[in-house]
Amino acid sequence: MRLLVRSARNSLGGVTLAQATALVLPVVIVAQAQPSRYAILLVTALLSTLIWEAVFAALRKYPFSFHGLTTALIFVVMIPPTLPLWQLVLMLSLGVILGELIFGGRGYGFINPAVVALCLLVFSFPQVQLPPASQSLALAVVPGAVWLLLLGLISARVIAGTVLGIVGLMFLGGTGVHILTIGTALGFGLIFLICDPTGAAATNPGRWIYGVLAGGLIILFSGGQNPTADSVVFAAITASVFAPLIDHLVVLGHAKWRGVAHG
Amino acid sequence: MTSNLRHITDPLIQNNPITLQTLGICSALAVTTSLSTALVMSIALTVVLCLASALISLIRNHIPNVIRLIVQIIIIASLVIVIDEVLQAFAFEISRQLSIFVGLIVTNCLVLGRAEAFAMRNAVWPSMLDGLGNGIGYSLILIIVGSIRELLGAGSLLGYTVFISRADGGWFEPLGLMQLAPSAFFIIGLLIWAIRTHWTAQVAAPKFAIKTSRVPR
Repeated sequence: MRLLVRSARNSLGGVTLAQATALVLPVVIVAQAQPSRYAILLVTALLSTLIWEAVFAALRKYPFSFHGLTTALIFVVMIPPTLPLWQLVLMLSLGVILGELIFGGRGYGFINPAVVALCLLVFSFPQVQLPPASQSLALAVVPGAVWLLLLGLISARVIAGTVLGIVGLMFLGGTGVHILTIGTALGFGLIFLICDPTGAAATNPGRWIYGVLAGGLIILFSGGQNPTADSVVFAAITASVFAPLIDHLVVLGHAKWRGVAHG
Repeated sequence: MTSNLRHITDPLIQNNPITLQTLGICSALAVTTSLSTALVMSIALTVVLCLASALISLIRNHIPNVIRLIVQIIIIASLVIVIDEVLQAFAFEISRQLSIFVGLIVTNCLVLGRAEAFAMRNAVWPSMLDGLGNGIGYSLILIIVGSIRELLGAGSLLGYTVFISRADGGWFEPLGLMQLAPSAFFIIGLLIWAIRTHWTAQVAAPKFAIKTSRVPR
């Protein structure tokens, strides 16, 4: 087990593999309602992300990777199954290029390409409504979440911070807090959008701040009510934009504290 | 003459005010939702830039150095007021759409930038050409961005329908994103990317380099 964890952590391909493993169950749960439609969506999504990956690998002369895999899977879980294929291809292409490949591939950017694609989709086509997450989807996320936590790819601090932000703001707002409803609406987005290792903050105090910020934004964007799919997506992208700043400030603060204590 | 002509041709791509110097981005985002507003804004800015450069260059030896910015701004602001009045008189609808952005030409970094960097040190004719060239370079980007945004966001160009939208029985589905300011950022960013891929001399040196190091196992 330790060897597996270590090898998965030490290679970028391993990160993608681990995330993809965690995504299998949610994809299956979502797809079982309309298997043939989801098969078409999945193949199209995978082709569009992986083709761009190949194009950039050829243009910039680095080895081909399968990072587009997780982007495509996350995107397909979040979208309505009725989405026209050309919209899927267009938005996923823009998301992968502008959110990841333009920076040099996974790990070099600062936002999750699936989040970018979803944001562009909701902005571009106002008639598209992201479907609310089902209870079975939230349950299907749990094993994957445990797996990713074990591998150290997502941080428990971000999860705790986000929940704290949501519950705290709802409590302050005087809305009734139903943990189950929140968990259902939040589960998938929290693990795969907000906790994304490239999008989240990377310092430990920064992870708390990032989580609380994301949680607060979710409640703000859903108007004080229970989280909606849109609000989770927009909170994820906004918090990701702030993550590098949060990390920077944490590092500065740490250096200053060290200077005072030991200087 | 060829040396003077360079003042017009250089700012088109090689030294473009928007894509290389990243000046005047604010108005490039705000007025490019349709081609007509982009065109009118381009003309207004080019006229102001040309005349301001010429006027400032004309009196450059008489401007006391300590108050030169004030003098420059006064000249630019007077010209902008004239242009604004002309637009309100002859193109009221467009002027209403451009709202404050004609007035904001006063604070457009491009106009003041050319006055400071060029007109204060050069004769009238080259200054005017420099203003014209930079104006055209700015206009070029505005027109490209405006065309793309109007075509994809509304399916029309200059108000004439090019693609019939699905609501009217056609096939085209307008991209709502194109009507929002971020799309102008994306388009300008992609333009800069394309230009710098072709003219690699424009690529800025990276602020941070990625170090390769071995992580101890």
